[in-house]
Amino acid sequence: MDFFVQQLVNGLTLGSLYALLALGYSIVYGVLGLLNFAQGEVYMVGAFIGFGVLSGLGGPTALVMPVPFALLLMFTAAALGSGVLSVTIERVAFKPLRDSSRIAPLITALGVSVFLQNAVLLLLGPDIRNYDASSFIPFTSGIHAGPLNVSLIRIIVIVTTVAVMIALTLWVGRSKLGRSMRAVSYDREAAQMIGVDVDRTIMIAFFVGGVLAGIAGVMAGLVFSRVFQLMGFVAGLKAFTGAVIGGIGSIPGAMLGGMLVGLAESFTAAYISSTFQNVIVFAVLVVMMVVRPTGLLGRPAVSKV
Amino acid sequence: MSLRTQGRASGRRVTARALMLGGVVAALALIAAGCGGDDSSSEAAGTTTSGSSSGKPCDASIGVLTVLTGAAGPQGREMLHWAQLAVDQFNEENGTDIKVVEGDDQLDPAQAATVAQEWASNPKIVAVVGPESDGTVDSAGPILGKAGLAMVSSTATSVRLTDGKYPTFYRVIPPDSLQGSQDAEYMIDTLKVKKVFVIDDQSAYSKGIADVVVPKLKDADVDVSTDSVSQNNTDYSALVSKIADDTDVVFLPWMLAANAQLFGDQMAEQGKKAAIFGSDGVFSPQDFHVDGSYLSTFSPDIQSDSKYDDLVKEFEDRYGQFGAFGLTTYPATQVVLEAVKKACDEGSSTPDVDAVAENVKNTNIEESVLGQPIEFESNGEMKDAKFYVYTIKDGKYEIAPS
Repeated sequence: MDFFVQQLVNGLTLGSLYALLALGYSIVYGVLGLLNFAQGEVYMVGAFIGFGVLSGLGGPTALVMPVPFALLLMFTAAALGSGVLSVTIERVAFKPLRDSSRIAPLITALGVSVFLQNAVLLLLGPDIRNYDASSFIPFTSGIHAGPLNVSLIRIIVIVTTVAVMIALTLWVGRSKLGRSMRAVSYDREAAQMIGVDVDRTIMIAFFVGGVLAGIAGVMAGLVFSRVFQLMGFVAGLKAFTGAVIGGIGSIPGAMLGGMLVGLAESFTAAYISSTFQNVIVFAVLVVMMVVRPTGLLGRPAVSKV
Repeated sequence: MSLRTQGRASGRRVTARALMLGGVVAALALIAAGCGGDDSSSEAAGTTTSGSSSGKPCDASIGVLTVLTGAAGPQGREMLHWAQLAVDQFNEENGTDIKVVEGDDQLDPAQAATVAQEWASNPKIVAVVGPESDGTVDSAGPILGKAGLAMVSSTATSVRLTDGKYPTFYRVIPPDSLQGSQDAEYMIDTLKVKKVFVIDDQSAYSKGIADVVVPKLKDADVDVSTDSVSQNNTDYSALVSKIADDTDVVFLPWMLAANAQLFGDQMAEQGKKAAIFGSDGVFSPQDFHVDGSYLSTFSPDIQSDSKYDDLVKEFEDRYGQFGAFGLTTYPATQVVLEAVKKACDEGSSTPDVDAVAENVKNTNIEESVLGQPIEFESNGEMKDAKFYVYTIKDGKYEIAPS
């Protein structure tokens, strides 16, 4: 039982990162019908921004301010930085292609992804940066009951993710911007006709996607310590898998899908073998594409007439 | 054919689905491509190093094929630095003008093959230092071998590399069979282990060592469990949870020290007390520093031997602190340099590839930083090569008690 709960926590931590990233895929897909494969790299840049702030504040062992403030600053800077990066990507790489064939922006997205990896490689070098989070959030803090060990870092990650999800759901459901986003997602042309500023809405969708990726990036740094220029690639793929499994375009779907991918990885390692982690995750994706292409919570795309 | 000719509504449906499938296909293709992502291919120009122009001219280049970018980049660049230092010192001493050509294989066999193709058709390159890993020897080996280029590896340790498949392959370090059996013996005889968890990283290198260690431990009645994990994983917590509390040692024959560090951190997070025993791939003072761990390596500790003070200082002045993964590249490069110079002395100023390979085979270097002479067996193994076991105390590497 303890083992199961431990693995549940492991899976939820990983799932939190995937879910936040998957939300970015889903929101952008919902509004624009575009798979933004650069999402994983925005996450990577977010992780580096968080690391930059951490170093600027004295580094992991000599923080110049109380830890909660430092964390807040790291998250805020990474969220804003990644948000702005994401909007820039939209302006430079996707907007000019908005009315071209649907495959063109997909290829651009991959191009942007390779560009960002190499830009970071050239600017910052290939060395792995280490958040070393256990120096300022010790492993001994958190819940330790017998064989069950849940460090405070994991609690922070899971709680933050849930909070972000609730905030996002409320925002999309109730705010004016949220409404215009849903309107654009439902029918871009009709939304434009009734006076929704489509450009602005798309920009905001990208910004929100970037913010979520930035938050996920800092979380990854806190939990997994290591930050390097290729870290976004696999994470991005797994999150994309989560978004598709949950039903791409659907916000609750992305949350569910991301969590499911994290749990699937964790439980595969726990009860089968970690050899099969990736095999199982991507096999689930393939089966899902065949059996239920709209995903668990997605709606079929035929409703547009 | 064109989706545009269909009705608006059904057209959208089809394209949305096609797009998603396209995305999945693209995603899977990228995984197949080895998750490399970036592609900074090697430049034939490379770093040029020049020496004084006296003595018999020797106009040749040697390739250094290793990983320069990616997670293992730091180790690979350290290797390159040792090669550059060896070349510069050699040029200065002998008045030769031998140049280094860098080849970045990103630890990816496919990329190594690409670089090897380029070098096989480049007449300037007369021998290769590397490749750095078993997987990259397997892909670059046949290509370089066919071109007659001698390869002198300083880090590839698989047993099968010297079974005759690659006649021009040599190495200045012992094979995994020796590492695996020495590690197993150390665990059994010195650490007196009862329960060991062996986790390979799914690479040829890692499986090779695990395949030697596991049966040896079992023969000594040690309770062994095994698992394996992809090098692309960034989370080992699920695997760490599986470590039983009475486990004495977690054996990690991994290629990436930073991954092993993460594994160690996650063990600490979950309060696991077992010691980590890593192979030479984990041996890296910069990237791995879990106290109480054991590591085996083919690299002697020159930093605590005053005989090598000048060498250590010269390296540190140029490149900063170093770990132990790159050091053996220094003697490997010396082997190649001696062979090239001999070919120059005997023949023309642009030496012949086959002559260089022949000279490598007959290498006879009396003194080296390995603390022993360098000579090769007929299969390319170095005579009397050794492994060392280190332990980490207060973040520092030291020779482990035997």
